[in-house]
Amino acid sequence: MALKESEAIVLRTYPLRESDLLVTLFTRLEGKVKGVARSAMKSRRRFGGALEPLTYVRAVYDDRERRDLARLDSCEVIESPMASEVTYSRAAALAHVAELLDEILPDREPSDAVFRLSLAVLHEMRGAVLWMPLTYFELWMTRLMGFLPEFGECVVCGRELDGNRAFYHALADGLTCLDDKRIASSELSPESRKIAGQMLRSRVSEFAAIEWPKAVGQDLRKFLLQILERHIEKKLVTAGMLERIAG
Amino acid sequence: MSRFAEPMTRLIDELKKLPGIGNKSAQRLAFHILRSSADDAAALASAVQDLKAKLQLCTICNNITDVDPCVYCSSPTRNQKLVCVVEEPTNIASVEKTRHFNGVYHVLHGSISPLHGVGPEQLRIGNLLSRVSGGEIEEVILATNPTVEGEATATYLAQQLKRQGLRVTRIAMGFPVGSDIEYTDEVTMLKAMEGRREM
Repeated sequence: MALKESEAIVLRTYPLRESDLLVTLFTRLEGKVKGVARSAMKSRRRFGGALEPLTYVRAVYDDRERRDLARLDSCEVIESPMASEVTYSRAAALAHVAELLDEILPDREPSDAVFRLSLAVLHEMRGAVLWMPLTYFELWMTRLMGFLPEFGECVVCGRELDGNRAFYHALADGLTCLDDKRIASSELSPESRKIAGQMLRSRVSEFAAIEWPKAVGQDLRKFLLQILERHIEKKLVTAGMLERIAG
Repeated sequence: MSRFAEPMTRLIDELKKLPGIGNKSAQRLAFHILRSSADDAAALASAVQDLKAKLQLCTICNNITDVDPCVYCSSPTRNQKLVCVVEEPTNIASVEKTRHFNGVYHVLHGSISPLHGVGPEQLRIGNLLSRVSGGEIEEVILATNPTVEGEATATYLAQQLKRQGLRVTRIAMGFPVGSDIEYTDEVTMLKAMEGRREM
């Protein structure tokens, strides 16, 4: 028996058998780990609110060789999303972070950078500000996964895009200039490209004081989402929900 | 080739669809039904059929009922000005067990769950809003689960209902009776402190 302890973020839970929960954790130690929390549905005494999605916990789990599923021994809450008011829009934003991490991260591959990014973004999502941390999260996830194209030049002709119009297409990587844009392309505004540049150089907390309605960086989020969805080869359920939420 | 005769395989396959029933349990149940009398087997089949044929949703509160309106909505002894909103019909039994609530119910049939693509439009919120717009309801108690999804649902409903000038309350969150503060997690403690009352 190998009892392991790690900081972790709860991504999802699914009912399993009569009273167990199948839990997907994003652990700092080992990346994404799936485990069974025995009797978690029947008795809340052992896990309490620790298995709510996006709860930052200290998890202890038993990992055995040749077994895919760990056995979750205990979870101590470090920070819970329920400590602040959970509105519909905040719930959707939190769910988006959880879904993206769950879909994009490979099993058992630690990534301290993604873990730190997730914690920082969740910390910023405690209040009513959502669109800024969501933009930051999608941008950095795209970059950390190695999918982020160059913002400064056209992928077709290599022309400098700074100060010029830039376009992207759902089925193609990178940005193109006006001459090389494909049919049904969308435009990525210079303002959004500037925001992306700033976000790639700064901490998420540095944007906390800026007013950020839904319209700010909306084209950037759409661009990033298209890249992410193309790589995971599926539509994110939460992306559609966020789209329907008013700014 | 199947290990069992076709009718047995069919029954096992159907039983396996039930929550918490795996292959072994389904086999055990199927053999139990096979060994039981023809009357017992017929009673079981008829109960399942009746369940689907006779039960419906109450047009007022969405509770599962065999008469419309349901026993709570049609009762003259219950306080029709006090509505308790719950996620599932099974939650009504938990509130009724207290024997202290004399109001009526409204069942949402779920909670806002963005990870499962469930938004407010998928819940039975519309008839709650039209129900309260009549002006006869004085208070709505939001008794959704103390989870992220339940909280999101309660917050959304509170916003919608307060626009109509109603008194909207949320059930308290905190310690289960008989538990120990020493073993409580920080969120439960926080919620218990927030929801403290004067004595």
